[in-house]
Amino acid sequence: MATVSYKGATRRYPGTTRNAVDKLDLEIGDGEFLVLVGPSGCGKSTSLRMLAGLEDVDEGAILIEGKDVTNLPPKDRDIAMVFQNYALYPHMTVYENMAFALKLRKTSKDEIDRRVKEAAKLLQLEEYLSRKPKALSGGQRQRVAMGRAIVREPQVFLMDEPLSNLDAKLRVQTRSQIASLQKNLGITTVYVTHDQVEAMTMGHRVAVMLDGVLQQVDTPRNLYDSPANVFVAGFIGSPAMNIKTVTLGADGARFGSMLMPLTREQVTAAGDGKVTVGFRPEDTDLVAPSEGGLPIVVDLVEELGSDAYVYGHADVNGEQERFTVRTDGRSAPSLGDTVYVKPRGAHHHVFHAETGVRIA
Amino acid sequence: MAKKRSSTESFMTLGHIALAGWALVVIVPLLWTFASSFKTNSEIFGDAWTLPGALRWENWAYAWEHARIGKLMLNSVVVVAFSTFGTMLLGSMAAYVIARYKFPGNRFFYYFFISGLAFPVVLGLPSLFLIVRNLGQTPGIGDFLGLGTTPGLVLVYIAYSLPFTVFFLTAFFKTLPHSVAEAAMIDGASHTRLFFRVMMPMAKPGLISITIFNVIGQWNQYLLPRVLMQGRSGVEDKYVLTQGIAQISTTAGYEAHWGPLFAALTMSIIPMIVVYAFFQRQIQSGLTSGAVK
Repeated sequence: MATVSYKGATRRYPGTTRNAVDKLDLEIGDGEFLVLVGPSGCGKSTSLRMLAGLEDVDEGAILIEGKDVTNLPPKDRDIAMVFQNYALYPHMTVYENMAFALKLRKTSKDEIDRRVKEAAKLLQLEEYLSRKPKALSGGQRQRVAMGRAIVREPQVFLMDEPLSNLDAKLRVQTRSQIASLQKNLGITTVYVTHDQVEAMTMGHRVAVMLDGVLQQVDTPRNLYDSPANVFVAGFIGSPAMNIKTVTLGADGARFGSMLMPLTREQVTAAGDGKVTVGFRPEDTDLVAPSEGGLPIVVDLVEELGSDAYVYGHADVNGEQERFTVRTDGRSAPSLGDTVYVKPRGAHHHVFHAETGVRIA
Repeated sequence: MAKKRSSTESFMTLGHIALAGWALVVIVPLLWTFASSFKTNSEIFGDAWTLPGALRWENWAYAWEHARIGKLMLNSVVVVAFSTFGTMLLGSMAAYVIARYKFPGNRFFYYFFISGLAFPVVLGLPSLFLIVRNLGQTPGIGDFLGLGTTPGLVLVYIAYSLPFTVFFLTAFFKTLPHSVAEAAMIDGASHTRLFFRVMMPMAKPGLISITIFNVIGQWNQYLLPRVLMQGRSGVEDKYVLTQGIAQISTTAGYEAHWGPLFAALTMSIIPMIVVYAFFQRQIQSGLTSGAVK
């Protein structure tokens, strides 16, 4: 159990001009489950590997429990890692895979046996202990990889997309198992994923990265409710938020015939001419033509049972813009219909048109 | 569609005919050697297609006793055992480092080993001879390593086998997943332990195929022992099998005992067939492991 701090940690791969991870500042609390999320190539895995000691830190420092580990080899950092492809030792049995690290630490045989059996019980692997990894299913291999990390009783768990090789159903199941396991063990965990649903459901806090730069780190609720910029707004939430840059009037943003009211402070902060506004598909209602909504021609309806997602386009200030709306599954419109869309209450988000930064 | 299938079929038929021809080319001389080991000189110089008049096991007994096949075979086994072990140990370590670690000169060492492949051993013989002779005159280690010594020969065999071993294993180690090595590093393995406990076992198919290749190559080596196993009293006791068999045919001049010579040849082949039969499965998996993902 420990805290982790990135202090201006930077990684630049030789032969590239852009930093893979650029001046990352991040404090992770004792026992916290922090998720690093972002699109591919955003630097989230590199950040994790820097913490693991598998990647050099070109500038800045990384601290575990206040101790500078920037230049320590992986084995001296007291961490355990779960890899995307599990990286089990193919020539060792499940038992040996889990015992390997303890053997290297010269732990006594009885202690190794106790810890491995305990972890095996926790992960329902008891009957597979004498099998080799290739005789296991994907889900079982994933649990062995978890077990190998657990028996170490490390200060920090590192997980690099541990669920992405599982099928969808197993992934959802394992997701909750990992979250509750982490809660019971209370070990600080840094978890990398590109899947924002995983990030939102598992993390105590979520750090969103793009192009090597940390965009925002906050609780899932705050990320959803007040994204710090346009990227986070578009990345968090599924389907993605409707984000449009439109003409700024004195009293709000103009979506063709529809006016989205803004406060005077927001109008002032937005500056001249343009403003970027966003509203989530789930914060949107289909209204009657008389209620002043934006008319949208329906292109596609996705029926999910309880809900339906309506995809359509509208003519906004002379441009064809696409919109997504969530509606009740039982009263979904048909293809080609014209529906009237109105963002609900104060659940819209306002960003500066140039910088993309949130305007409160 | 039908046409395509028939062209594949005729290609397969041609392939099978070619392979059958190849098999005959390999098997017939072996059978002929085996048959000749029971023949008399006059039978051997007669029609090659006749079978021996009787199973003359005395040819085998003669070879075993007079040509000291047992002793020669033991010498060969000792030399090949040490040199193969040395080749595999040094070769796998060198290949692993070249394949998995970045350091200045990495490419240089790789191509340096490769250049050994391009160099015909015949050209190196005079200088090799001089090097080993000088080694023999070095105080302290001279008696142990010079011309006509088993360790000296082992050393040369190792040097001779390293280029191909390193070439083959470098390619093999490159195919092994990096994440397993990283997992072992995080688990606390040192570089040495990572190599011996994790990477070596994972490279087993490749190691086995190249081991067989080296065992056969070194077992059949004639040129190097012919040049290096000389110039010391009692060196005949250290002759390897190939040398000893050649001696049967040369010492007697035109009066050579051809039957016992073929008996000795047959005996020298048997261990290799046994080794191959024993490791056949591993050889095949080693040869194809790079191709199948």
